[in-house]
Amino acid sequence: MAATVRQEPQEKERGTPLVVETRGLTKRYGRIAAVESLDLTVRRGEVYGFLGPNGAGKTTTLRMLLGLIRPTSGDARVLGEKPGSPAGLGKVGALVESPAFYPYLSGQDNLRVMARYSGVRSPRIAEVLERVELSGRAKDKFRKYSLGMKQRLGVAAALLKDPDLLVLDEPTNGLDPKGMADMRDLIRRLGKGDRTVLLSSHLLGEVEQICDRVGVISKGSLVAEGSVAELRGKQGLLVRAEPTEEAAQIAEKLVGVEEVAELGGALRLTTDPERAAEINAKLVSAGLRVSELRPAGQSLEEAFLELTGGETV
Amino acid sequence: MLASFGAELLKIRKRPATWILALVWFILIVLFGYLFTYSFAANPPDRPEDQPPQVQQQEEAFNEQILNGLLPENLLENLFANGVFSLGAAIVLILGAMAAGSEYSWGTMKTSLTQRPGRLGMLSGKALALALFIVLFVLLGLAAGAMSSYTVALLEDASINWPPLEELAKAAGVGVLTFGAWGFLGFALGMLFRGTALAIGLGLAWALAVENTIALLPIESDWWESFRRLTLGENTSSVGSIFGSPNPSFSIPETLVEPERAAITLGLYVAVFAVVSLVLLLRRDVT
Repeated sequence: MAATVRQEPQEKERGTPLVVETRGLTKRYGRIAAVESLDLTVRRGEVYGFLGPNGAGKTTTLRMLLGLIRPTSGDARVLGEKPGSPAGLGKVGALVESPAFYPYLSGQDNLRVMARYSGVRSPRIAEVLERVELSGRAKDKFRKYSLGMKQRLGVAAALLKDPDLLVLDEPTNGLDPKGMADMRDLIRRLGKGDRTVLLSSHLLGEVEQICDRVGVISKGSLVAEGSVAELRGKQGLLVRAEPTEEAAQIAEKLVGVEEVAELGGALRLTTDPERAAEINAKLVSAGLRVSELRPAGQSLEEAFLELTGGETV
Repeated sequence: MLASFGAELLKIRKRPATWILALVWFILIVLFGYLFTYSFAANPPDRPEDQPPQVQQQEEAFNEQILNGLLPENLLENLFANGVFSLGAAIVLILGAMAAGSEYSWGTMKTSLTQRPGRLGMLSGKALALALFIVLFVLLGLAAGAMSSYTVALLEDASINWPPLEELAKAAGVGVLTFGAWGFLGFALGMLFRGTALAIGLGLAWALAVENTIALLPIESDWWESFRRLTLGENTSSVGSIFGSPNPSFSIPETLVEPERAAITLGLYVAVFAVVSLVLLLRRDVT
């Protein structure tokens, strides 16, 4: 099992109550481990991105958190309750995988069914339909909805209970670019305030745009957890100067440069990118020819590939 | 559980397939219970001119008996002893299989369960809603029969005498037990196979082919008889036989099980199928 790169919580995060907490959560199907010893923590009020390649175990984890499937071993708590318990689910809204509703019922009637299951009063249905901008098509049959409308109805159903925790599994799957942008905007709005959003996705850009914190899962195991900035790793500068060896010697002696690494004929300096002008002056005054100097932060994609051992998303 | 019952009622009530099945059930009663028989008895084939008067009288008396069997006073005999009501077994089996299996086919089981009802609450609501619709289908069958027999009485200018209320209540009970057992068999199969296609296919194959084959196989042994005593078809026939034959010329085939015992067996089947469904839902993952 790969070691997890876990960033320590910031001071202000330490006291924040945990909404989702798993310890050694494991799900096996015969000899295959879909999820392996997963330790996950999601804090109140954050938009947590659960990132991983297809088949990494994201949906299996979410299903376990919702009580749809039972873990083989390990423990999980969702809003302090056992997963799947009616008390816990009363405060959780979920859209797992594709939105599944009764095709012969209208969008509104589908929500009436869901509202009855969850004991929510009928006026709430109009509110959530308005929220996802489906009021105008509420009386159309679900089978006539486009994929984007189906996804929005799924989000509406998840919002019926005005949940403390919103679990969204690949909510932009299959949507066109406009639909994806709308959905991301909706998720951002829903994540404001005290509500916690647990968003599963294999889209790096999506997670980068929306999430406060990210957990990266690969082959059933959590391989990293932290903010997007933390996962990107330390920032630095890329310097191309001739002669390279001499440039490296000078750079190593500079105060504030933690590390110097050669990278395809250039140097990668681990340092504050704000120091670019100062470093440039030092190199030029030493008689070196500087042809390139730019910030060289690791992209989330690079970090992701590094963490997942090159697994494609 | 009541919240789930409300949700299930809304789903089953608004489902077109439910009302299509009800319409088919109504048509089956009218066609096979009354229309075909009435057409035969009211319009007998032309007699040969040299037919002896004695034979002619016998034929007329026979037709009259058949027509009498279709009158309101013989409503229950015609519906239950003639096997018309057992046609509905296949209908409610499909209804039960749809109530459970469709949730898996559409993937709505996960959507519904994440709304909070709990697996026990959800299944209780489903079972209650199915039970209510089984009662409605029984009443529909009785109403279709009553309407048809009333029409026959009008056409034949016969007096209209309905069975006593007590007998009607007994018929409703027999209908509910029969349909309950078959409906919940479909329900359990829907849960077992997590879909409707296999549940309906195997359920109908059992109801229409296997049960009849079992009844017809000429095996003379105690263990075979013991097995037959447990089959749904044998017990269904037995409870239906309590109303007697609508036609004195025909006697009802003897059944292996006493009606009281058959009633208990059918009730137990309802309970067993409901418990099996619950265990399946509680123990298995919803994927």
